[in-house]
Amino acid sequence: MLVLSSIGLWLIGGTAQAHVLPTTTIELDVRAAEIDAALTIPLSDLEAASGIDLGSAGQSGIDAHSSELLDYLENHFAPTTLDGRPWAVTFDELNLSSAEDLGTGIYDTLTTAAHLVPPAGADERSFDLGYDAVIHRVVTHVVMVTVRSDWSTGTIDSGREIGTVGVDSVTGDITPLTVHLDDGSAWQGFVSMVSLGITHIREGTDHQLFLLTLLLPAPLLVAARRWGGPARPGVAVRKIAAITLAFTVGHSVTLALGTIGFPVPQQPVEVLIAISILVAAVHAVVPIFAGREAFTAGIFGLVHGLAFSATLTELDLTGGQLAVSLLGFNIGIELMQLAVVAAVLPPLIVLARTRIYHPVRAAAAVLAAAAAAGWVFDRVGFPNIVADAADSLADVTPYVVAALWIAAVAVAVLLLRGRLVGTAGPDAFRKGEDRRQGRVVRGRAPRHAQMDRQGLVEHPQEVHMRGGHVLRD
Amino acid sequence: MRTQNSRVTPPKKLIVVSSMVMLLGLSLAACGTDSDTTQTTASTSASSSVASTAATADAGSVVASAEAFAATLTDDQKASLQQEYSFENAQKWSNLPQALLRGGQGRIGLQLSDLDDTRIVALDTLLQAVTGSAAGDGYDEIQQLLNADDYLAANGGGTDYGRGNYYIAFLGTPSDSGTWELQFGGHHLAFANTYVDGALVGSTPSFRGVEPFGTFEQNGTSNSPLANEQSSFAEMLAGMSTEELATAKLDSVYSDLVLKPGNDWAFPTTKEGVQVSTFTPEQKQLVMAAIATYVDDIDDADAATILAKYESELDQTYVSYSGSTGVTEQNDYVRIDGPSVWIEFSMQHGIVLSGNHPHSVWRDRTTDYGGTQE
Repeated sequence: MLVLSSIGLWLIGGTAQAHVLPTTTIELDVRAAEIDAALTIPLSDLEAASGIDLGSAGQSGIDAHSSELLDYLENHFAPTTLDGRPWAVTFDELNLSSAEDLGTGIYDTLTTAAHLVPPAGADERSFDLGYDAVIHRVVTHVVMVTVRSDWSTGTIDSGREIGTVGVDSVTGDITPLTVHLDDGSAWQGFVSMVSLGITHIREGTDHQLFLLTLLLPAPLLVAARRWGGPARPGVAVRKIAAITLAFTVGHSVTLALGTIGFPVPQQPVEVLIAISILVAAVHAVVPIFAGREAFTAGIFGLVHGLAFSATLTELDLTGGQLAVSLLGFNIGIELMQLAVVAAVLPPLIVLARTRIYHPVRAAAAVLAAAAAAGWVFDRVGFPNIVADAADSLADVTPYVVAALWIAAVAVAVLLLRGRLVGTAGPDAFRKGEDRRQGRVVRGRAPRHAQMDRQGLVEHPQEVHMRGGHVLRD
Repeated sequence: MRTQNSRVTPPKKLIVVSSMVMLLGLSLAACGTDSDTTQTTASTSASSSVASTAATADAGSVVASAEAFAATLTDDQKASLQQEYSFENAQKWSNLPQALLRGGQGRIGLQLSDLDDTRIVALDTLLQAVTGSAAGDGYDEIQQLLNADDYLAANGGGTDYGRGNYYIAFLGTPSDSGTWELQFGGHHLAFANTYVDGALVGSTPSFRGVEPFGTFEQNGTSNSPLANEQSSFAEMLAGMSTEELATAKLDSVYSDLVLKPGNDWAFPTTKEGVQVSTFTPEQKQLVMAAIATYVDDIDDADAATILAKYESELDQTYVSYSGSTGVTEQNDYVRIDGPSVWIEFSMQHGIVLSGNHPHSVWRDRTTDYGGTQE
């Protein structure tokens, strides 16, 4: 299997470095009680240095010589503590792979993972690397050492170079590398997980779209199985809070399950997420689960949580780090979610009071449905331009939010100035009203009804004059 | 069916509707904004001091040739050509194509693709003035190497290759007083002549490599650059006895040059290999012949002086090799290491094409960069 990894040669820095030749890379993953070192060794240099001829038999050549190769690696990878005590090193299976550096073309590599365990009581974060495979013989070879992940410093999937190992041309000796990992802490790890959660939602266009589509009809009430007038803000907020909470509970459950090992079928989950947006979009046009939004949000939350868990399982954490990460990541997700809701909700509640809200809501729902449909096809294996456009929705979000707020402020000003009469919902009749008055049909406001000032103000003088019913100011 | 009681005056309603539509339209228009930022790395361009046209150098001198070339250029071209003399600028050479040099490490100076035919002729005149006249070395070798790059461009390498990607620069103003360097190069080629007070004081680092190695047709002629270098090394090794070869053979494997581009002033303190003082005169001739394939790259008069110096130091010069003595296989490596002279030749696997190809460098332990170390 070809794995193309491009190592940025500009990592080396300094003056005109001209590596036309493949280098060995060692990528360190710092774990709780050990360090994993992913080795990628150019095959031809490995053969030249070790004297082991692997032929051109590919993986089977490596398998045939695996004990010799392991012996060789064990003899040339001997990390020690700073005072010379040896670490324990074990290797995973040896694999044939490919890589490409800047200007080298593709070359064959041997890849393996080495597990480095310090002796009891030793400093796990400062040690002598003790690596001289290949370079003990191929003196023009270079080994690049990077830290790929280090939970307690919040490093995830990085390529930060911490040094190179090579032969000093002046002395002819190998310059040894002492690894000094930055000081870390559980707090740093926690914070980085919160940040990861925030980023995940910020970049998770589909998750955001699901939530927003679900919220679109939230400020509204159902009337005759269609979306009707606006609910009172208090009601709307409570409903939205319930939806958000249910979604949170749902995804927290499956996030935890997925992270601790529950098998997550990636592709079906991705498709289900797209379908969830589709369902929410339909609901935004015509209420299909009115009164059960929270429940539905919870169910779909379970699906989204499985997708979230993929991010954490990739980090391959255990024990205390896993628990802290789960908490931090979830908190990050909630924070970003809250931000999204807080950014979108108030203007939606205000705009829901206008007549324009129904077509706008419908239009937004149709767009969401289109995006979701594009994603469904894309995720079952048919890439399409709709999905591509949908993927770039995140770029548009700030503008949409700004537009919503500007429109909402304009509407609010007009409402407060009494120049706009919005939609009357049944709630408008709640206070100070003589119910006997009403030839009120649900959803239809009578002409000169007394109305709560919050939504509806109509020619105050006219009302005052009529029948002595006094409007509340 | 729902009805709404909205008795707002039409103009106000219109304002609300149109403002919302406008804002939605704005946000949709924002879809089109490409938020990609391409990181442009600014390549350092040193101060541009215009080449002095008040030439008082005598005709035929390098300075005169340099000024004559500069005189053919437009002001913009002169500004690119004329760079500041500094060690940092002098180090801006490489064996890599310009397109593969990142983040400020690219070559400086005037790019040959900016020059029309007349100016190229003027440049060739300059190059002829500073390079050797022997076939297969000097000016002829440079032309063959440019042909090789054109060949790569036409045979899979694409636009990253080709003679248009080579650079000429004057580091410091050409003059018979003070220090300046004539810097010329590109993929697989680096030429650095440093002059102090009108005299050539440094003709290294000098890098020569080629792909394809062997004979190829390009630009109407048959080319085989570095053929004489490779064969002279092979002959030198072939002329050594078994014992001498055993002494000369290095245990280590060399997949590349030791003093590759960027590894300046890092000469090994210990010399390895067999000492040439033990050689017969014929064998010493073979060593000198190999050295000459590099030194003859510069103008004949200066080359003779330098060769004389290297010859006088032969007894303290060491020859070593790694790999096979045929100097044709990957990891075949030959080195000549004297009190002054340092030459390495390394056979490597193909990059653009299949087939091994050589990299080689001529350095001088005392006069690299004319002695400039920082």
